[in-house]
Amino acid sequence: MGDFPLPRIKDFIRRVTPFDTLGEDELGAVVARMEIAYFPRGEVIITAGGPPATDLAIIQSGSVKVTLPEMDGGEILVDIRGEGETFGAVSLLQGSQALFEVTAREDVIAFLLPAAQFRELVARHPAFKRHFSFSLARNLQAVQRNPATWFATGHQGEALGLDAQLARSQVGELMTLQALTCPPETPVREAARQMTRRRVGSVVVCGAEGRALGILTDTDLRARVLAGGADPEAPVSEVMSRPVLTIHPKAFAFEAMLEMIRHRVHHLVVGEGGRLLGVISDHDLRVVTGAAPVGVVRDLDKIHSPDELELVHQRLDPVLEMLLRLGGSAQYMLDLATEFNDRLTAKILELTELELESQGLGRAPATYAWLALGSAGRREQALRTCQMNGLVYDELPPERREAGAQWFLTLGSRAVERLALAGFPLCPEGQLASQPNWCQDRPGWARTLDDLVAQRGVCVMPQAGPLFDFRAVGGSDAFAAFLRQRVTKALEEHRQFLASLARLLPYARAPLGFLRDYVVDKSGEYQARLDLKQSGLTPLVHGVRVLALEQGLAATATLERLEALARRGVISETFAGDLREAFSFITLLRVARHLEARAAGLEPDAQVVPASLSPVQRKMLKDSFAIINELQDLLARRHQDQQVA
Amino acid sequence: MAEGFQTGGWKLSLARTRNRWLRFRLRGRNLDPRALVNLGALDHLRLDEPARSHRFVVLDLETTGLDPERDRVVSVGAFRVVGGRVRLGEVFSELCNPGRDIPVESIKVHAIVPDMIHQARPAWEVFLDFLGFLGQDILVAHYAPFDVYFMNRVMKGQFGFPMQNLVLDTVELCRTMLLKPDPYGVYLDFKKCGLDALAELFAVEVPERHTALGDALATALILQRFMQKLESQGRGSLREMIKLGGMAA
Repeated sequence: MGDFPLPRIKDFIRRVTPFDTLGEDELGAVVARMEIAYFPRGEVIITAGGPPATDLAIIQSGSVKVTLPEMDGGEILVDIRGEGETFGAVSLLQGSQALFEVTAREDVIAFLLPAAQFRELVARHPAFKRHFSFSLARNLQAVQRNPATWFATGHQGEALGLDAQLARSQVGELMTLQALTCPPETPVREAARQMTRRRVGSVVVCGAEGRALGILTDTDLRARVLAGGADPEAPVSEVMSRPVLTIHPKAFAFEAMLEMIRHRVHHLVVGEGGRLLGVISDHDLRVVTGAAPVGVVRDLDKIHSPDELELVHQRLDPVLEMLLRLGGSAQYMLDLATEFNDRLTAKILELTELELESQGLGRAPATYAWLALGSAGRREQALRTCQMNGLVYDELPPERREAGAQWFLTLGSRAVERLALAGFPLCPEGQLASQPNWCQDRPGWARTLDDLVAQRGVCVMPQAGPLFDFRAVGGSDAFAAFLRQRVTKALEEHRQFLASLARLLPYARAPLGFLRDYVVDKSGEYQARLDLKQSGLTPLVHGVRVLALEQGLAATATLERLEALARRGVISETFAGDLREAFSFITLLRVARHLEARAAGLEPDAQVVPASLSPVQRKMLKDSFAIINELQDLLARRHQDQQVA
Repeated sequence: MAEGFQTGGWKLSLARTRNRWLRFRLRGRNLDPRALVNLGALDHLRLDEPARSHRFVVLDLETTGLDPERDRVVSVGAFRVVGGRVRLGEVFSELCNPGRDIPVESIKVHAIVPDMIHQARPAWEVFLDFLGFLGQDILVAHYAPFDVYFMNRVMKGQFGFPMQNLVLDTVELCRTMLLKPDPYGVYLDFKKCGLDALAELFAVEVPERHTALGDALATALILQRFMQKLESQGRGSLREMIKLGGMAA
């Protein structure tokens, strides 16, 4: 019959990724193998635990929901798929029992591609392989929310003193409805009276159109009126906090928690599309999440003596575990840990400065910034890994230069010591603010970085990478911005350096074969282990770093760098997305293993025994490695080309 | 007519009785293989099996006009439905040479212009090929008598007997399942059962409407809906489907 007689159907399929990668003839042949099926609303198309799907379904119209049934009869919504999206791939590729349940949310018309043809496409086309293995990764969320898949040893949420079901709640369910509001001209005393009468800790100040202008809280009353001496008869608009932070009612409780921690506020306004729905306070959250999550960061503010720092970082573990159990994304986990670590660092610096002053060494002789390097600099230090840091301060006049350097070195040394006390170990190869090389004034740092980029042998190459991920903590961002500018300029003059940096990659090529061989040989006595950091995260982070440096990006976080790289078209959106999935997955896996080891009283490392992973995890890990290899290839090509050019 | 005579069983057994008479009449004759296949088209039908388990061919014709006596077929399109699913790879689609001018009004509908059909074969040849495609499957069409009339004209001319396949009419299914009972045809609700109306009702979005193949696909998707609707009412058997949508034998 030659050409497929219904061009519009072919056009439709052609727009569906990854079918868009097929040639004209092959696309026609594939479409000819398809069938059109109709599933009425509510029909369970694939039953979880039932036989695997027999076809890959491409939705022409309507939508389905993908869910993971829970033991108590509930279900976790994993995904909603609509027109032009597919379902059934997971169980087709797994070939075993269907993991997810797929139900028609509306009447669905779908094109079905029989299993045999689908597998053939996956086997033959890398684009199919990648797309569908990474739609597996899209289901990560579900796997994530199913604690059993993360923790081999099944310790329960009760140990943490929290009810997982409740903690999964959304802001809308927890907020105080009918928030107390008042117009901006209300006198403060009147507002306070209303708060007392309604027994609430806040009043939302609303403008004429009902838009929230600000919020007046107990803290404001105490700090600005009682202690600050503002007139109780003044309008609330003069003492309220502004702007109000708004959160969507569908946001998860822990997202609200993170917002509060990040902005150091106790109240958030719950709103949707400019409409005020209610107010959520840290008190509301504490009711469901237990004191731990909000408290853990805030407790840092209550530390007054260096002695209290001992292993304070351990307190973060239960929170990370909770996030992992609740299905928090890698990003959230890293954000929370970074917030915690940054505050811890700031606290340590504050205490140490006070100590130096009380010991007669005086105050800081110049403004300075603490530089977080490596994973801390990238906002990715969820675990207590080696510290890497530096200290940069303003140039001092020659006569005070030596004394100043001494003061900062003392500060650096003590801070490093205390970070170690708090839980961040010292590792031999890392840069530390206690070393004169990494505790310098601005010109000193500039020289060091210049030398490094010009390859005048300041430090061994493998250490150079993490150094470039610097970020200012507890101090002015201007320092980091200055150094960043300096690095970018130096790199422009010495492109060769990037090629050397890129060449560092192959030393840790992701071991694809390793995993495959292992999976085949399950019965083997040999407990093969895989290093998630060395084989997974390090090459990924390093590859992205090289590209980011090449582009002179200011961002240090891997996910941010990826976003910026995709935006600039250095890598494709899809590839960036795949790398993001790979990064998130390995990060979560690593955090899970770490916490598990600690709970079992073992020394945590980044190693994982492939046999201990679930099939889905193993598959995702393998796909992640494949993506990382692709990144390495890309870099190798790029720098080869540049050398030729 | 009494309810009892309208059952699917009655319709099919009447068709089977006629089929037996026909076979008796034709016994001993040297028949074309396609004619032989067609004579057995009712044998494999199982009234109490789910309709879904049967094979259907959904047909649509584009013609030079709506008068079967005078008008001619210009295009034949059909899809096969197996297990309740429309097979995109089992498609029949061919233009026919009507052997007369194509009226402008009809060109407006199907957009088949005379140039396109100069090379086409005459309708009877195309229909014999289609008969091969149809095999012993159940024939489904929207307002089936129209399509069956053309089919039979060729059948009678070539083999001397009308097409034997069971025929379902989606217009009939619409009348019996969606409209209020209208035994005397006084409501003239025919329009509500038009292909466009049904496609809209079921939110079936079909590309290439008003081509034989596009309309055949729309009809196939509508058949899916009726099939599912019957199943959800616990009436998924072929017997029910024939009762509600079988073309009057």
